[in-house]
Amino acid sequence: MRYLIGIGNYYGLDDSVGLRIAEVIGERGLDRGFQAIDMGGNLLDLIHYLGPETEQVLIVDSARMGMEPGSWALFTPDQVATRKPQAGFSTHEGDLLKVLEFAAALGEPLPPVTIMGIEPGHIDDAPGLSAELESRFEAYVEAAIEFLNTGSELPG
Amino acid sequence: MGQTINIDVHHITRVEGHGNIKVNVTDGLVETCEWSVPEAPRFFEAMVRGRHYTEVARIVSRICGICAVGHTLAACKAVEDAMGIEITEQTRKLRTLLKHAENADSHILHVYVLVAPDLLGAQSAFALVPTHGEVVARALRLKRLTHEWGSLIGGRTTHPTTVVPGGFTRLPSVNDLVALREKILAAVPDLEITVDTVASLAGAIPDFDRPTEYMAVTSDDEYGLYDGYVQTILPDGDRATYAVADYRSCTNEYVSPNSTAKYAKNRLDSYAAGALARFNVNYDKLHPEAKAVAERLGMGPICTNPYFNSVAQVVEIVHSVYEGLRLIDELIAEGVNAEALVQPTSFGRGTAVIEVPRGILFHEYAFDEEGFCTDGNCIIPTGQNHANIQADFDALLPWALERAMSEDEMRLTFEMLVRAYDPCISCSTHYLDVEFVR
Repeated sequence: MRYLIGIGNYYGLDDSVGLRIAEVIGERGLDRGFQAIDMGGNLLDLIHYLGPETEQVLIVDSARMGMEPGSWALFTPDQVATRKPQAGFSTHEGDLLKVLEFAAALGEPLPPVTIMGIEPGHIDDAPGLSAELESRFEAYVEAAIEFLNTGSELPG
Repeated sequence: MGQTINIDVHHITRVEGHGNIKVNVTDGLVETCEWSVPEAPRFFEAMVRGRHYTEVARIVSRICGICAVGHTLAACKAVEDAMGIEITEQTRKLRTLLKHAENADSHILHVYVLVAPDLLGAQSAFALVPTHGEVVARALRLKRLTHEWGSLIGGRTTHPTTVVPGGFTRLPSVNDLVALREKILAAVPDLEITVDTVASLAGAIPDFDRPTEYMAVTSDDEYGLYDGYVQTILPDGDRATYAVADYRSCTNEYVSPNSTAKYAKNRLDSYAAGALARFNVNYDKLHPEAKAVAERLGMGPICTNPYFNSVAQVVEIVHSVYEGLRLIDELIAEGVNAEALVQPTSFGRGTAVIEVPRGILFHEYAFDEEGFCTDGNCIIPTGQNHANIQADFDALLPWALERAMSEDEMRLTFEMLVRAYDPCISCSTHYLDVEFVR
């Protein structure tokens, strides 16, 4: 099984973009050949999708990457140099990369994991997306599906 | 010359959201002993205004990623109360089964990932992997089980999709339930070892007592997770009951200068909600297997040690597993039948109470005659516990000073107390902050 896993905060403006992509793909029935999961902020549940039966995981989330708001990039966890400064390991502190490290530390090989990071325009306690992300939303959906169906990247 | 202590924990780890601990003692004189919550309000009650009754549960589910089932169920129940919807017995059983999955799932996460590191002297669950790999693997096996259990009934465990006002949009088949039953039974050995593990670590739990008022849902025929009325119990066993519609008379919310969240109180200056409160209020209705576990772990009602909230969670995991099996057996025997959603017969104001992992949860909504929401109110358990945590702090500091604890020991003792409440202060934003390897 292949998974598209959206993570974020549904009412966190652009922090919701991953969830909205998973939601739209599910609602439109576009999740053919893969399953779209809206994980919210419950990141530890990600571990349940990293078992030996999983062929591919695409995690979609907002990511501050120093790019123009609305731009996106596909990258793997080992391409990321930063980690949030956290003393512990929690759930809502939610460092995605730490959850992946945790899963890897358990000893079983992980399936291929790719992250689709989308540069946020605004993050706030509000529903919806900023205009920058709203205008490119259909392109995000298309890029995510393209990646899961063909393994190739559309330009971000 | 007395002891001097300076503890300033900004954003305590291994809790949900942000809370601060500040303790200052100079020459034995207490200057500050404070639990504070700096989270910004999230305005969910405002977000539901103007939305159709069919949307409300989906919106408020997003209040919490861990208690999403509880918020969904509370909203559905309040909507149904407002609209004269009487759900079927099959719906009630399936919802209760889903509620047990959420409670067990959250408690496993809390006990194994957030509390166990304190008891095993580790910084985090991550640090337990090399030293206690089997403990971590067992935790994940149990968590996966409850995740699958919740997903089967609710569509998914985080923000369930099948639970709507009037019933379910999709039902599990009897074969699904038979398979789930087998999986739960196969997990019983892991459950038994969990109890053994907690029993072996019980000595690391601080022996601190502070009697308070305990509030929980209770019911004449169940432990009170899904449905019932409100009951509180004082340490002397005196009980008081409240109708769900009168919830404001027992929560009495007020604003504290220490917090952006409202505080609550009832018969005393504060009350406790959560697994320990449920245990104290509903002990007689625990499944016999859970009662036996409580006895093995040295717990009986009325337990006044707030650190034992985590132990009560272990008792409740056992309760949920065996009650879940009982409900599954009943559903298998009766068959799962397709049912149309029960439709509204009126529009007005409705209230609901439910137990979520961290305690008693109230939802209230009002709707106009076209079914659009005109008013909403949610009182979450962590907000209800803030005043009680502060009262515990006030008693814990002299208790710790009497024991001549070092500053580090005292910091850990305060942090463990907060973590014992399993607070879900907020679901804050968590966007990635990325710098690429060059």
